[in-house]
Amino acid sequence: MSASALILLPAPEGVYDEMFDAVHQPRSHYRRYDEWLREMSADQMSAKRAEADLIFRRIGITFSVYGEEGGTERLIPSDVVPRIIAADEWEGLERGLVQRVTAINRFLADIYHDREILRAGLIPEDQILGNDQFSAAMIGVKVPRDIYAHIVGVDIVRHSDGGYYVLEDNLRVPSGVSYMMSNRKMMMRLFPDLFRRYQVRPVEHYPALLLQTLRAATEVDSPTVVLLTPGRFNSAYFEHAFLAQQMGVELVEGQDLFVKDECVYMRTTDGPRQVDVIYRRLDDNFLDPLAFRPDSMLGVPGLMSAYRQGNVVICNAVGTGVADDKSIYPYVPEMIRFYLGEEPILQNVPTWQCRRPDELAHVAANLEKLVVKEVHGAGGYGMLVGPTSSRQEVADFRTRLLANPGNYIAQPTLALSACPTFVEEGVAPRHIDLRPFVLVGRETRIVPGGLTRVALRRGSLVVNSSQGGGTKDTWVVEDSGAGQAAPAP
Amino acid sequence: MLARVASHLYWLSRYLERAENMARILDVGASLALLSGQDDERAAIEPLIITDTLESFHKTGQAPTPEQVARFLAWGVSHPSSIVNCLEASRENARAVRGSVTSEMWENINDTWLQLLTKRGAAGGPIDASFFEWVKERSHLFRGITFATIRRDQPYQFIRLGTFLERADNTARILSVKQARQGVAGDGGDDGDLADHYRLSAVLRSVSALEAYRDTYRDAIDSRRVAELLIFDPTLPRSLRFCFDEVVRILSELPQAPAREARRLAAHMLASLEHGLLDDVYAEGLDEFLERFLIDNIRLGNAVHSAYLEMK
Repeated sequence: MSASALILLPAPEGVYDEMFDAVHQPRSHYRRYDEWLREMSADQMSAKRAEADLIFRRIGITFSVYGEEGGTERLIPSDVVPRIIAADEWEGLERGLVQRVTAINRFLADIYHDREILRAGLIPEDQILGNDQFSAAMIGVKVPRDIYAHIVGVDIVRHSDGGYYVLEDNLRVPSGVSYMMSNRKMMMRLFPDLFRRYQVRPVEHYPALLLQTLRAATEVDSPTVVLLTPGRFNSAYFEHAFLAQQMGVELVEGQDLFVKDECVYMRTTDGPRQVDVIYRRLDDNFLDPLAFRPDSMLGVPGLMSAYRQGNVVICNAVGTGVADDKSIYPYVPEMIRFYLGEEPILQNVPTWQCRRPDELAHVAANLEKLVVKEVHGAGGYGMLVGPTSSRQEVADFRTRLLANPGNYIAQPTLALSACPTFVEEGVAPRHIDLRPFVLVGRETRIVPGGLTRVALRRGSLVVNSSQGGGTKDTWVVEDSGAGQAAPAP
Repeated sequence: MLARVASHLYWLSRYLERAENMARILDVGASLALLSGQDDERAAIEPLIITDTLESFHKTGQAPTPEQVARFLAWGVSHPSSIVNCLEASRENARAVRGSVTSEMWENINDTWLQLLTKRGAAGGPIDASFFEWVKERSHLFRGITFATIRRDQPYQFIRLGTFLERADNTARILSVKQARQGVAGDGGDDGDLADHYRLSAVLRSVSALEAYRDTYRDAIDSRRVAELLIFDPTLPRSLRFCFDEVVRILSELPQAPAREARRLAAHMLASLEHGLLDDVYAEGLDEFLERFLIDNIRLGNAVHSAYLEMK
C-alpha cells in the first residue's frame, strides 16, 4: 500500500535481539510496538527522524566544537526507535544496581578508614594502596553518611545468553543524563500515540531526585548547592548548564568560588555566600591546585582543606576512582559478599588480570578472541578488540602487554545485544548498552531506564559517542504483552 | 546572583551599545563627508577622535581617508572597539551565561554574529549606510527582545546598567568632539552658516535627536541648544540626564551594601544634570565640562565593578 514499506531486519545468529525471539516473533513487551511499526512507512519514519534532528538543534542539545567560525555544533544522533525493557526485568536490574552501589560505597568507606577487606585478605593491599586512583588525602576523612559515590552511571550490557552483565561502574563524573531526558522529551513529542499504547515509566523527575540527593549529602539545614563546571569549552557544558537550570542551582566555575577560614564561598552581587554542597563535574586532579595539579586553572585553591574539615561536601567524593578502576572491578562481587553477606544479583563480565602470571599466559595466547583494556583507560581508547583487529595489530598489542602486564585486564568479546534502529537499510539491529543513573542519598534511587547507547555502524560494538555512537530513549513499560488495548477506532 | 554572571551580562550590553554607537558615528560621518565645505582631513579623522583611536589608526600606516577610517572602525580586528570586535565580545559574553538570559535573547545575539560573519565574507565587509543601519537595528532588536522576555530581576538590571553607562559615555564624546572642539563654544548666536547647520544636525541625528530638537525648540539649530538638549533633557533617551536617571534608579534596585561609592558618585552626577544650568556649563567651558563628565563616568564604571563584578 504505502510508497515504501519499512524493512525490518532481525539480529544475526548468536546475538540477543531485544525485540524478536528465536523464531522471529516480537517479545511480549515489544508486541504493541511491532504492530505500530508495521503501520509505518519508511517515508514516515524518515520524516520523524528529520523532525527529531530539528528539535535537537533548536533546543541546542549539542556538543560544541569550539574555535570554528560561527561556533559549529555537532549533534549526537538520537534514534527514533525506543529500547524497551519490561518492568519485571527492570526491577531485577534495579535491585542488582542498588546492591552493587551500596557495596561499593561500603568498600570506599572501608579502604579510607579501617581497611577490613584488606585485613581479610580479599584484595591484595598493594592493589589498593599502590593504585593511582587511591587518594591519600582522603585517608581518615569522614564524609556525611559514609556516602562517597552519590551519582553513579553503571554500564550494563546484555550477552547472547540473555543475561545482563556489568561492564563498568562509573563512580567519578558520569555523564549522559541530559540525553536520557532530551530523548524522552523528543519521543513524547514525536510519537504521542505510542505513549498512549504503552504506560512508560517517567524519567522527567531526575533533576528533582538529583537535587534531593545533593541536599541529603550534607548535615546542614537548607544547604546551598552549586554545580561546578570546567566551563563552556568543556564538551559536556550543555549538560552542566541543563542540570543546574533544571535544579535551580548556580552553575559555577572555579573562579566563582573561594576559600576563607576553611569555608567555601561563592562571589555574588550580594557579597560572599557560603556553599555547602558542590556537585562537581571535573576530575579530582583539577579540584584544588594547592592539593593536586598546581597548573589547574579550573579548581579552587584551598578547597581540599575545607573539604577535609567537613565544611563543604563534594559530590562525588574525592578518591572514588579507586573503586571503578578496571583492576579493582573484578573484586566487586567479593565486596558484595563481604559487606552485605549477599550473593551478587548482577554479574561481572569474566575478567583476566594480566598482573597474574597464569592469567597473563592465557590472555597472551588468546589475544585474537579477547578484548584487552588498560586498567585506567576510559572512553574506548587504548583497547584491543581481538576479533576485529588485524594480525599486525594483535602482535603490536602483545608487545605492549608483555612490557607492562599490570596495566591491562582482558575479557571475552561479548556479543552485545542488538536493538532495532532506524538506519539507511531500514529498521536494522544495532548493538546497544545501557547506563542507568543511580542516586545515593538518604535512600538509593534510580529513574527507570537510563541512557541507551547504540553503535550506529553495522556490526560495531563501540557505542561511545566519540566513536560513532548514538543514543535511544529507554522505556521501562508496565505491561507484559496484553495490557491495555489501544482505544477502539 | 554570581558576580561573574553579572559581569558577563553587563559587558554583553556595554559592547552591544558600543557597536551601535560606533555605527551611529560612522553613519553620520559618511553622510557628512558627502557635503562640500567640510575640512576633508578633519572630517575624515573625526570618528577616530571621538573614539580615542587616532593613535592606533596611525599605527596601521593607512592614509586617513574616510573609507580607510570607516573600515578600521567597523571591521578592524586589531582595534578592540571596532564593530566586529564589539559584536563578537557581546556574543562571547552572552554565550558564557546562556542560562541567565532568555533563549530568545541568546538566539538573537547569536544570529547577529552569524549574519555578521556572512556580511564580512571574503571582501572584508561593507561600510555603507545600510550596514550601519543593520547594526543599529540589531541592537534595537536585542533591547526589544530583552524588554519583552526577561524577568525584572538582577540580570535585567545589570544589562540595563551596562547600556546606560556606555551610552552616556558615547553621547558626551560625540558632543565634545563635534561641538566643543569646533571653536564655537560660547559664541552663542550666529549659527546661520550652512556648514554649521549640517554639522549640528549631524550631531543630533547621530543620537536620534533631530526630531526631539525640532519639537522642543521649533527654531533654527543652535549649538547651545544642542548642548542643552543632549546634556539636560530628561525625556530624550540618549541625553546624559536621561542616562543618569536610569543609572541611579538601577543602582537603587541592586543590593545596597556593596555599592555605597557607586551610588554616591551616580547621585552626585545626577544632581549636577538635574539642577545644573547651561550658563554654568559654558562658564566652565563645554569641553571642560564634558571632559570632567567622562572622567567621572569612568570612575563610576570602576566603582560598579568593584561593588558587584570583580573576582577579587
